[in-house]
Amino acid sequence: MRPLTDEESKAVFTKLANYIGKNLVHLIDRPDEPHCFRLHRDRVYYVSESSMRLAISVARPNLVSLGTCFGKFSKSGKFKLHVTSLDYLAQYAKYKVWIKPNGEMPFLYGNHVLKAHLGRITEDTPEHQGVVVYSMNDTPLGFGVTARSTIDTRKLDPTSIIVFHQADVGEYLRDEDTLF
Amino acid sequence: MDVTNILSSIQNGNNQDELDDGNYVLDAGYLTVTNTAPIDVDLYNEDIDQYIEQNARDSTQKLIGALFSLPITSSPDGPLAMLPPPTLLLPREKPLPKPKEPTKWEKFAAAKGINKTKHEKKVWDEEKQEWVARWGWKGKNKEAESQWLHEVPANADADHDPRKIARDERKARVAKNERQRLQNVAHSAGSSTDRKKDIERTLATTRVSTASMGKFDRQLDGEKKPRGVKRKFDPTEASAEQERKNALALLSRMESDTRKMRSGSSSHDDGVLNVRKAIRSASKGQGGIALARKLNSNKKSRR
Repeated sequence: MRPLTDEESKAVFTKLANYIGKNLVHLIDRPDEPHCFRLHRDRVYYVSESSMRLAISVARPNLVSLGTCFGKFSKSGKFKLHVTSLDYLAQYAKYKVWIKPNGEMPFLYGNHVLKAHLGRITEDTPEHQGVVVYSMNDTPLGFGVTARSTIDTRKLDPTSIIVFHQADVGEYLRDEDTLF
Repeated sequence: MDVTNILSSIQNGNNQDELDDGNYVLDAGYLTVTNTAPIDVDLYNEDIDQYIEQNARDSTQKLIGALFSLPITSSPDGPLAMLPPPTLLLPREKPLPKPKEPTKWEKFAAAKGINKTKHEKKVWDEEKQEWVARWGWKGKNKEAESQWLHEVPANADADHDPRKIARDERKARVAKNERQRLQNVAHSAGSSTDRKKDIERTLATTRVSTASMGKFDRQLDGEKKPRGVKRKFDPTEASAEQERKNALALLSRMESDTRKMRSGSSSHDDGVLNVRKAIRSASKGQGGIALARKLNSNKKSRR
């Protein structure tokens, strides 16, 4: 377990900023308890200072997980967000997509969001913007990247993809053994 | 393979009865012959060895026939034939040379559209009534320092030497030109720090590129141990306050970088109001300048 280097922090922050924009400051600068990012076995954990200090006394091979896993670094140094970060992304998301009840199951099985399943979308969402996907009763289901801007979606046919799937809560079951 | 009969028939001139079918490409210069005729599949499948042997025999026959038709001179070692220059074009061994880097002046001239004027090496001397060299031995550029009589200004010092002054001026011009030439050479060779890094990297690679991976090689005097990249991490137990400050500083640095990168282009501002969209709807798609003009005219009419 160690703090992130500058390059690593940059990779994590740019990925997070794609979803929550300037709200990223609220993750770093928390009024309740100071939180920090820690790297352990290529995974990035968002953890409160007190838990982090407790985890220092655990030997590296014995430490399985701490705090909330935000994602992991690939071998080539790219950062990939995991669905476990959804709680924080959903809290601060700038752009949101709501999907109809008949589109929930296809999305939770790892498919992209089609126009036919699109319930609502934040006005003025640009292209290739990270968005958080909600069900119609405001339960966060996952996140993805928009394929088209909001204006362009209007003239698309119902089978075209609106949001590329990145992670969904179905992964808690599908990738249970590798996720944390 | 008995070819003596065929050889003698070629030498006699009544040759190429069965071989001459136009499918052979001969290049006596490289001693090469190529049979471009397509392979006869039936014969080939019947007996590969025999087919290849037959093909080789015919091709070699053709080549030897061509060699004997060359002009032959006799020598103590026997008859010698002079091979013609090769006609086959072989691919180039080395890559094409890179175009020469333009000098500083050439770049400037290209930017300003200045055409190069070629100076003749000789110039006409009106006094001598003959052509003299522009520079070099008895050159025109040494006229001022080599004349037998010099004009001396009235307020000149006692040690005023017009010959020396003219010579120094000329030498300074030569030195300046040489300095500029060296600068151009250095510039075209790349910057020195790049070269130094390059050399150091090559040296580090060669030192570990031996059978023992550099372990049992003789060390040179003053040779340092090769060092790898040392990673250094912040301590895990640093204060969270310091870490928060670092993270916020990094964030602001990243923000300023992106702002610099997309300065001028339309940006998605993070405020509640989307300024670009608001201007577009308020001006009915005409833009901010038109909106300001309209507001100004409204104010004036109210007065």
